[in-house]
Amino acid sequence: MPDRSADLVFTNGRIYTLDRKRPWASAVAVKGGRIVAVGEAADVSGLTGASTRVVDLKGAMMMPGIVDVHAHLMMGGQAELFELRFPPTASFETLIAHVGEAAVKAPEGSWIIGGQWGSDLLPKLNRLEALAALDRVSQGRPVMLRDDTYHNRWVNSQALALAGLSASSPDPEKGSIGRDAGAGALTGMMIESAAGIVERTIAQSGHYTQEMDRAAMARSIATLNSYGVTAFLDAAAMQPILAALKGLDDRGELTAWSVSAMPAVEPSFMFGIAGDELIALREQYRGAHAKPDFVKIFLDGVPGARTAAFHEPYTKDPVLGCCFHGSTIVTVPELIRWVGKCEKLGLGVKIHCAGDAAVSQALDAIDVVRSFNGPTKLKHHIAHASYIAPTDIARFAELGVVADLSPFLWYPTSFLEGHKQTMGEARALRFWPNRDLLAAGALLAGGSDWPVMPNPDPWDGIEGLVTRRNPSGAFPGASLWPEQAIDVATALEIFTINSARAIGLADTVGSIEIGKSADLIVLDRNVLETPAEDLADTKVLTTYFEGRVVYERA
Amino acid sequence: MSAPEPSNDAKIPVTILTGFLGSGKTTVLNRLLRKPSLAGAAVIVNEFGAVGLDHLLIEASEEQFTLLDNGCVCCTVRGDLVATLKELDRRSEAGETPPLNRVIIETTGLADPAPILHTLMAEAELMARFRIGGIVTTVDAVNGAATLERHVEATKQVAVADRLLVTKTDLVSDDALNALLHRLDHLAPTVEQTVARNGEIELDLLASLPADAAAAVTRIATRLEAVAHHDHHCGPNCQHDHRHDAHHGIQSFSFVIDKPVEWDAFARWLDYVAALRGEDLLRFKGLVHVADEPERPLVLHGVQHVFHPPARLDRWPSADRRTRLVFIVRDIERETIARTLVKFASIDADSIASPVLAAA
Repeated sequence: MPDRSADLVFTNGRIYTLDRKRPWASAVAVKGGRIVAVGEAADVSGLTGASTRVVDLKGAMMMPGIVDVHAHLMMGGQAELFELRFPPTASFETLIAHVGEAAVKAPEGSWIIGGQWGSDLLPKLNRLEALAALDRVSQGRPVMLRDDTYHNRWVNSQALALAGLSASSPDPEKGSIGRDAGAGALTGMMIESAAGIVERTIAQSGHYTQEMDRAAMARSIATLNSYGVTAFLDAAAMQPILAALKGLDDRGELTAWSVSAMPAVEPSFMFGIAGDELIALREQYRGAHAKPDFVKIFLDGVPGARTAAFHEPYTKDPVLGCCFHGSTIVTVPELIRWVGKCEKLGLGVKIHCAGDAAVSQALDAIDVVRSFNGPTKLKHHIAHASYIAPTDIARFAELGVVADLSPFLWYPTSFLEGHKQTMGEARALRFWPNRDLLAAGALLAGGSDWPVMPNPDPWDGIEGLVTRRNPSGAFPGASLWPEQAIDVATALEIFTINSARAIGLADTVGSIEIGKSADLIVLDRNVLETPAEDLADTKVLTTYFEGRVVYERA
Repeated sequence: MSAPEPSNDAKIPVTILTGFLGSGKTTVLNRLLRKPSLAGAAVIVNEFGAVGLDHLLIEASEEQFTLLDNGCVCCTVRGDLVATLKELDRRSEAGETPPLNRVIIETTGLADPAPILHTLMAEAELMARFRIGGIVTTVDAVNGAATLERHVEATKQVAVADRLLVTKTDLVSDDALNALLHRLDHLAPTVEQTVARNGEIELDLLASLPADAAAAVTRIATRLEAVAHHDHHCGPNCQHDHRHDAHHGIQSFSFVIDKPVEWDAFARWLDYVAALRGEDLLRFKGLVHVADEPERPLVLHGVQHVFHPPARLDRWPSADRRTRLVFIVRDIERETIARTLVKFASIDADSIASPVLAAA
């Protein structure tokens, strides 16, 4: 007779299942990484055998693992493990001293990569004297330092030589190479797309080995696990990311379900093959927990830089004039072609839309595809569903489009202050109509956009969804469009079962139900009874992925 | 869609002769080239395979003859086709060859004619000198039905034809021939069929191809009405084989729109169709009554995702001023086209009809 006993049984819990048919339970049993029973003590007692590990939750709240619908995992891990770190407030002298220390320790010929210098330093760094100072401490190693906007790089002479750059090199399109005003010699400053020249040189040099990529990815996932995240969508998965996820999965070292969105076009901040070439490789990177099932398309930029596409113009600008609306990078027919192609391949599309005109265009394109192709089980995402024309709200539900709520900016922040300057206060404040979307029946899914936001802590986002006030206490007394606040239970759905549906894993994750993956988190409080302004203080005590402990709070 | 350009019928017609392996293309070509009226024609043969056996059979002077050795005509030899056509034009202009008045491209049996059409429609320099002079597809009466059943390429060749030429008819019974003709009728209802009796071919084949774009659409429109009558006679309990799957999902249908069309909206809809279903839009033709210029209809021609710049006619070719659209598609339902025309091309649902209803 086969052994029916569970591997793991939880008892005495306040277990919030996110299953609307049975919202609460006190016991859960797990076998082979899957949930085999949910209920009360009597429901699991028969499954408790000699080898069963029994965990007494002692009244603690347990819920399913968080599903992050939008994160960028590799960069954070790489920076933490392999790069020189200094704060954007570091002075020029401090920055040079940091490079000097790193260069002494670095093996000969290896790159020194670091960040992030404050962009206010740019004029000072963009001079031959500064380059000479950097070269003096570099020990002949190539050096590349990123700025705090992630748009620009400052590199030394060795790096320029390896990238094949000289005074006669032309500026790339949409970028420039810093030059001395007199002689025209290069200063090492690489503005916008010029940054890619050096980044690609590094990517092609083999500086980051597959082992390093896996370690960086594992570090990032460990960070997610510490906040209770057990499934995520990597929102710009280049080949090294796909390879690292698959490599970890094959080794049994992947501690979260991963869904990847492969960029249709090489993004401005990551380098390597993209589009059809990358998509063609997807099956070789598929694993039991690694699912390259999405394509990422950037439709516009960001409001603060006036690169997002809006229906109404930005405020008057000395360069752009009175009536600049921003523009989309991809036309509607091109977007239609991409969505159509992805649907044929069985891939969802995540479309970055920061402005309301970009949102309209994305919805228009999906409307065309739906009109020709009929219904689909695939989910397409509009990221970041934040500025939305009132007439578009209902279209999310009508077209089955997921509102990707990321990053956590639905409360007063410095970003919002920037938006007020570019859009005017009244329009800037009509940011994140979450309640309207919900009322219209849209599927709302929660994401962090980490490391665009400094940490992926979902509890910060959940508090903000409920209070519309900044959880850190910044901007005291100020709230952002408080009529759009939603309740905690809904916020929890958004970060679990809704995101699971959005990434195509609703049968596997997102709630505590029999048959689903035993991705469970134990919290330090019952978040449904916690005052709203304390939700962000919630700590995850233990994170289980497929019934294994992958994080335990010290 | 770009703005309409004036039509230019002084261009050299390029006729594509296609048809499946062994369907008699080379015989047809041989006979055609004996005609005095084709003295100024150049022939381009696209060989399949390493040895150009077929071309040895062609009785044509060397000056008239250019061989593409790259196998199938497809995107990879498009450049060669461009170069060949330009060279033919240059030599004719320089007086090195007799004046060029027609080009015939004989494709391989497996060829998809679409890339050749794309070459003629998308290459600006060629568009200034040449025009599409129609697609003639040979179908052999003995093997035709089986070939159509087995090979999607053969079905496509028939579906996109302007003219079908049924060969080897003396080798089959009348019943078998009629069954084939009927099948072709359903696969390509807007295409005229010519039956070669007793090995003889109607040698006015090329002359009978439409001389210009308006004539082509008029011809199709006329043909559509004939088809409509045919369907009408067929009746609701028609026992004929109307299965689409018998044709690899390829089917043709048409619309008549009796209200003026807003061009911007219609062009946007065309962009959408080309973007999303271009691959399956094997051929599209239209004569469009545009709201802002009702006296001068637009002629449209698309092959997959490539659209010929719309040509503006000086006047309507007949008293019928309704917009007429003809689609040859793979796996696109008529209803989908109708629904999206209403939704995205601002066309009133009540104004769309099939020719069947229009003829009634």
